[in-house]
Order: sequence, then structure tokens, then C-alpha cells
Amino acid sequence: MTPRAPLVSSPLVRALLALGLLLGGLLAQQPAKDTSPHSSAELVSEFTTVVPGEPFTLGLSMKLDPEWHSYWMNPGDAGLGTKIKWEKTGGVTISDVIYPTPRYIPTPPLASYGYEKEVMLLLDAVAPRTWKPGETVTLAGQADFLVCREVCLPAREAISVTLKVGPEAEENSDWALAFARTRAAMPRPIAEVKGLSMRAAHADGGYLIALESTTPSNLANLPASQVRFFAQDPGVIQHAGEQQRLLAEDELVLFAPISEYSKAPAERLRGLLTLPDDATWKPGEAVHALSFDVPVEAVGSIVMPVQSVPSGGVPSSLLLILLSAFAGGVILNLMPCVFPVISLKIMSFVQQAGEHRGKVRSHGLVFAAGVLASFWALAGLLLALRAGGAQLGWGFQLQSPAFVAAMALLIFVLGLSMAGVFEIGASLTRLGAAGSGTEGYGSSFFSGVLATVVATPCTAPFMGGALGYAISQPAWESMLVFTVLGAGMATPYVLLSLFPGLLKRLPRPGAWMETLKQVLSFPLFATVIWLVWVFGLQTGIDGAAGLLAAMLFLGIAGWIVGRWNAYNISGSMRFATRVLAALAIVAGLAFAWNASAYRAPAAGGSSSGAALWQPWSPAKVESLLAEGKPVFVDFTAAWCLTCQVNKRTVLHRDAVEQAFRDKNVTLLVADWTNNDPVIATQLEALNRSGVPVYALYKSGSAKPVLLPEILTEGIVMDALADLPTHSTVSQR
Amino acid sequence: MNQKSVLTVTLLAFLAAAFTLPAPAKAKVGAMAPDFAVTDMHGKSHKLSDFSGKFVVLEWLNYGCPFVGKQYGSGNMQSLQKQWTAKNVVWLSVISSAPGEQGHSAGAKAVADYKAKGSNATTVLLDENGAVGKAYGAATTPHMFVIDPKGKLIYNGAIDDKPTTDQADIKTAKNYVSAALTEALAGKAVSTSTSQPYGCNVKY
Repeated sequence: MTPRAPLVSSPLVRALLALGLLLGGLLAQQPAKDTSPHSSAELVSEFTTVVPGEPFTLGLSMKLDPEWHSYWMNPGDAGLGTKIKWEKTGGVTISDVIYPTPRYIPTPPLASYGYEKEVMLLLDAVAPRTWKPGETVTLAGQADFLVCREVCLPAREAISVTLKVGPEAEENSDWALAFARTRAAMPRPIAEVKGLSMRAAHADGGYLIALESTTPSNLANLPASQVRFFAQDPGVIQHAGEQQRLLAEDELVLFAPISEYSKAPAERLRGLLTLPDDATWKPGEAVHALSFDVPVEAVGSIVMPVQSVPSGGVPSSLLLILLSAFAGGVILNLMPCVFPVISLKIMSFVQQAGEHRGKVRSHGLVFAAGVLASFWALAGLLLALRAGGAQLGWGFQLQSPAFVAAMALLIFVLGLSMAGVFEIGASLTRLGAAGSGTEGYGSSFFSGVLATVVATPCTAPFMGGALGYAISQPAWESMLVFTVLGAGMATPYVLLSLFPGLLKRLPRPGAWMETLKQVLSFPLFATVIWLVWVFGLQTGIDGAAGLLAAMLFLGIAGWIVGRWNAYNISGSMRFATRVLAALAIVAGLAFAWNASAYRAPAAGGSSSGAALWQPWSPAKVESLLAEGKPVFVDFTAAWCLTCQVNKRTVLHRDAVEQAFRDKNVTLLVADWTNNDPVIATQLEALNRSGVPVYALYKSGSAKPVLLPEILTEGIVMDALADLPTHSTVSQR
Repeated sequence: MNQKSVLTVTLLAFLAAAFTLPAPAKAKVGAMAPDFAVTDMHGKSHKLSDFSGKFVVLEWLNYGCPFVGKQYGSGNMQSLQKQWTAKNVVWLSVISSAPGEQGHSAGAKAVADYKAKGSNATTVLLDENGAVGKAYGAATTPHMFVIDPKGKLIYNGAIDDKPTTDQADIKTAKNYVSAALTEALAGKAVSTSTSQPYGCNVKY
């Protein structure tokens, strides 16, 4: 081993030691901790050399890690804008931070305005006249901002820039592009866009902003549904609130709900009117945001633009509406829900064919009256509920588990009777016959009512439009539409009874009738299965079991009544059996009542098994549209048979799902099985009040195409045909 | 107006109504504050109605949020809590962060945090499912609510008028909660009864 001293004194070792010390010193100078986590900020100048007395522009260039964002001057519901504290300005006058157009960042139930990836904030500056060419000046300070992903972190960055002073300005070529891009991303004051003007007014619950154009073509092709107002001041609007827009030829009107934190409506509205990146306010130039500052006028000073009923293909004239309603009513007879009642009714026509012709006619008319009366009752109820503010629509009866249970039990008992367990003629139908002179009219009236009640969950084609129209009309008009709807439904029966010749084609009564009657009980039992299934979705397996137990007891009661027929037993026997039957009925109803109080577990309310279909929400649709993705919404309910048929035969078929996938369509299910006011509201906005409704939002349009209520594979494929395929979208 | 525009206005009225409806019913100043039943850090259950007859302050809390850090780091929140609980005001800090989210706390950890921060709140409510937060429409941490002895909401909004994370701003800020309590305890109407809350969003 060689002595140590010569080794240490070797020049190479000394050099290494020196380097080590130097590195150590450098490391020691590094800040202990990054003061700006997930982000960085740098101060730059547009000019490396500035001229005394001349203006120039500074930029704070901020970079953010993926998913992190910084904020606009009004951060929205959470967050914080950027502030600069100057320590050395060298006499330069520097403006406040000037922000480019931010993005809307929804995080329901809140929303913010901010920036992702990178952004440059601008500052206008003026060099003092006292500066001498040849000098160098350093501006220094500190930028404070907030970066958030799910969590928020305060960020602080020491910033500085050194400028040369010269007789002529010299551009900073490294940053020229960034400055140019930032200027392009600045909102444009509305006064600078020719032909546009803006006004604002108070409205109930918010503000109306009207953008008027003197050159109509300006607004015609705008994606109106994606226009959003960003308020510059906090506490003015609900940032996450849904904004509503109406576009007419020369005017765009936007409604923004008022902030729950505002003491009084604002006197002025300041902020931005923004468009998505691929749209512009000024043809030929990329202007995504207009900035404005306007006084807020009194309520009513902005008049809504004239627009036809916003639902594709719905005729706006009353006559067409009434025709549709009539046709819808006729078609209603062909719906699966009405089928059991039609079979009931056919039977009663067959029986009546053996009686007097005149009687048949009267029965037909009474049946029609029953249908009409129940449509009026429904309309009255609907209007009353609407007036009461309840967000309910067509088919709402079956959203109440108690109503479903009652329907299931009623149809079950009817089925038992038809299957021959007991005679119902002597009991139920005679209830209604009390007031009328001829036995059986009450029964006809009752079956008219029954037909209507059973029909409600199935909204036939045309009826959706007619009803949607009716619900937003004055009461008299709604009543008229409902009347015509009922008349449409009753027409085939009235025709049959007015032209009894048609009845002659029906087979003669005979022993086959008992067979037919028993066979017709099976559709009734099928209906019961469907209702139990609906009930099960609403109340869970325990509720369904309770309802089945209720049926068992009613079955026992029916059997007792049938087995100990009133004609062939003694008085005491009759009393005993009827008490037992009554007890069984009470027990059954108690079970049903108890069962209807159960509620199915909230998760998985949708009956669709495929993960491809996601639950619907207005916010989801809005954010998908904002991303430019097409969306298909299936407004459905377990109690709607048409919906189930469409689901099984069309929507959930592999070929159809593959087509949706090819077109990159996001599939959403709005399940209205239980009453959901948000869905009711959306249906009303689509001018519909029942399900099924199938809405296809093509990319870039918030106004959906509504598909017919009875779907075929061809209809869906045709609707998807003009959407771009998946590959072109992903290449974008 | 012609018939068509009457129709359009009617439609728009419906739309406007429709768009205000989906927003959850939030606590409104002047109305009764929503009652709640929730357990605190000691596992004890509390209802708002248990405190009737006293002023109640609700403070939405997430120690991981820099806006909350500003208040606790400077000792300002603790001294407010001390100042007002001494005047028989009930001060409830509410944590609505969902399990797995920032600020979520339960049991021993909640108590340890409470001690470590030197909190003087009456207690900390653990609103893990966010039910209380959503009933009140708590948007940010901090978000402050003041309820009078009759159960009426008298303040809803920010802690003060300086929406920053900088402790130095506390000295010059106007504290809305102190102002509201001072006025209300003196039997006066609260002059600033709402303000836009600021901070981090509540991690529901």
C-alpha cells in the first residue's frame, strides 16, 4: 500500500475533489422543495430589447402536468386565479394579469373555469422614458397560483426576466409563437366583431343574454347548444347551472341561472360567451369567445326569438296534432298492453252478437264513453299534477308500486275468473251496472275505463308527440288532445257496434266460448308476470315475494267462492265461506300493501345488463357533447312493454351494438321505472311525456334526432349511417 | 305577440323551470336550515335540532386543502372557534370527504387530527356519505354556515372576503362569520348574509 499523502496531492485527485465540492455546492443551492408542484411558471418578455417610453408585453408561461389545471380570474366554484407580486419593476408600469379564454371544467355538482397543459397569461407593460439605451434591467417577483386535480395545491414560483434597453425593439424569437398563439386565444370584445350586439336582462331565476346579428348568416350555423356564458364576477351565476339557449335566424338568447349567493341581481353582466374550439363567432377567423360588459335591463326587455316547436317532425298546427292524437289512439289498440283488454272486449262483443242489435250499439257507445271519461280523468289529473309542480308524465301510474300491485292483483283475479276458477260476472262487473237500467252497460263502461288504464304505459307512435305538445299547452287544448286520443282509441269498438254487419263475421256463440274464455286467461296471466316483474324492479325480491303471497291469498279466496258457489249452498255455509274468503282477501291485500313499501336497492336500477349502456344524466350528455362525441339515449322504463320489445329485438342485438361501437356512440339509459323528476323534465324538454323515447345526439349538435317509438334494426342503422366511423374520430 | 311567439315563450318558461329544478334544494338564507343526523369523531350522534336555542356554525373542513391550511396554519380558525364557543355558540366542523378522498377522516384519526391542529370546534362531524354537505349545498372547504337559535339559516358563504391561500391576507380580510355572529348576537340583522364561497371543492 502506498502512503496517503502523495495520493491526495496528485493533481487528478485534487481536480476530482474540487469537482465534488462544486457539485455539492450546486446541490446545496437547489431549493429544498419544489414550490410549484405539478406545474411551473416562467416570466418571459415578447421583446428582448425594449425602447424607453414604449409599450411591450410580458408573458407568464405556465406548464401543468396532465390532468392538473390552474384557474381563470373567476375560478368558478372552487380554485383561485393567478397573482403576481412584483419585487423589482425597474420603474415599468405593469398591468394586471390578462387571461386568455379558459375552459369550462365541470365537476358535478360544481364547475370551474381554468387551463390545462399550458397557458400564457399576458401583462401589458410600458418602459419608463428615463431608461438609457445600453442598460439592462431585471424585473422580478413572485407568481402565486393554485393547481388542482382532485386535490388542490398552492403553487409559488419566483419569476424574473432581464431586458436590454435599446433604440429599437427586438423581438424574442424563442417566444414569438407562444405570444401569437396566446393573442389568438384571447376573447374578442364584442364591439370588434362587426354585425353583432349584445344585451342582457333579468329573468325569473336568472339572466337572459341576447346576441343579435345584423347579418343573419353569422349565427345560422352556430352549435347553439354549446354556447356557454362564463361570468367574470363571482357570485353572479351558478357556474354548474344548466344554461339554456334558443337560436333564431338573427338572434341567440341564452338563459343562465342566478347564483344562490347573490344578494341582489347584478347591475351589469361581464364575461365571455364561448364556443367550442371548432366553431367561431367571426367567419374566417378563429374567435371562440366574445367578451362583453353590458348593463342588465329589466325583466321582459328581452323578447324570446320566434321558434317552431323544437322537436323534429312534430307538427305545430293544432289540426295536425289532433290528427296525430287520433291516429295514436287507434294504434293504441294494437299495443301489447291493451291486448288482454281487447280479448276481454271481443268476448263481450261475441256474447252481445246474440242479443239485440240496438243493445250492441249502446254497449259500443257506453264503452267509448268509458274510454273518454278515463282520458278526461287522466288529463285532469295530469293537469292538476302539472299545476302542482309534480314532474310526472304519461305512464306515471305505473311508477307507483302500490298502483302496480293493485293492477297485478286486479288482472290476476280477472285471469282466475276467465280460467274458470270462479264467476266474476255476479260480482265485479255488476258494481258498475247499478246506475244503468240495462244490465251490462256498467260492465261496458268499466271495460272502457280498464282499457285506458291498462294502455297508459305503452305510448304508441304519434302519441308521444301529441302528449308532449298537450302537456305544454293551455288546459283546454290539453283536454282537446286527450279527448281526440280517447276518441281514436274507442273508434274501432264504436264502428263494430254501429255496423253490426261486421259482427256477423264473428263466429256464433257456443261451447267454444268457454274454451276461448279460458284460453284468453293466459294473456292476462302473462300481463301479471310482467307486472310482477315491474313490481320486483321497484321493490326488490322481497317485495315481489310479498305480491306473489298476496296472489296466493286472492287465489284461495277465488277458489272458495268458486268451490262453494252461492247457488248450491246453505245460508250458514255461505256466510262461513264468504267470511273465510273475505279474510283471505284482507290477508292478500295486507301482503300487497306491505310489499309495496319495499324499495329495490338503489344500485343497478337499470335492467340492462350490458356495461356498454351507462346511466344517463344531463351533465353526462353535455360533457360528451362538449367532447364532440355522439350520444344515444334510451329513455325507458321496466313497465313499458314497447321499450322492452325494442331493447330485446333491436337495441341489444349484437349487430346494433357493434354499429354503435363502430360509430363511437356513447350509449346512455334513462330509466324511468321509478319516478325521476330529472328524466320527466328532459322528456318535457324533448316535447314528449312518455317512454320510449330514443334520442340520438350527433356530434356537435345538442338538438337530438328522435327515432320512432317502434324500432327496427334498419331504422337505427339508417340513423347512424351519416355519423363518422370510429377510426376517423380517433384520428382527429 | 303573435301566437307562435306566445308558444315559444311558454316553452321557454317550461325550459327555464326545468333547468332550475334539477339543482338540488340547497340551504337558503332566511329559511330553516336542513336538519341532519350524523355521528361525530367520538362516534356520538348529533342532530341539528339538538342544538336548538343556540347559534350554530357549520364549517366544512378538509385539512389537506390549502385554503383550510391558510386558516389553521395561521391559527385564525382555532381562535375564531375559541372566541365564539366561549359565547355559547356551537361550532361544528364537518368533513364530507368520501372514503378514499382527500381529507376523509374517521374515528381515532379524526380525534388525533383535531388535537394536532389545536382545533377548538365543539366537535367534528363525519359526513362520510356527503348527505349533510349535499343538503346544505356545501361547495368548498372552507364553506361556512351560521344558524340562529330558532334553526333559521342566517349566513351561507365564504369565511372572508380574501379568496387566497396566503396567510398574510387574513389580517386585512373581513371575516364574514365573525361579522354575522356579532350582528346576530346583538339582535341585529346580518348585513352580509351570503357570499360566494371559495376554496377547494368538497371531495364528495
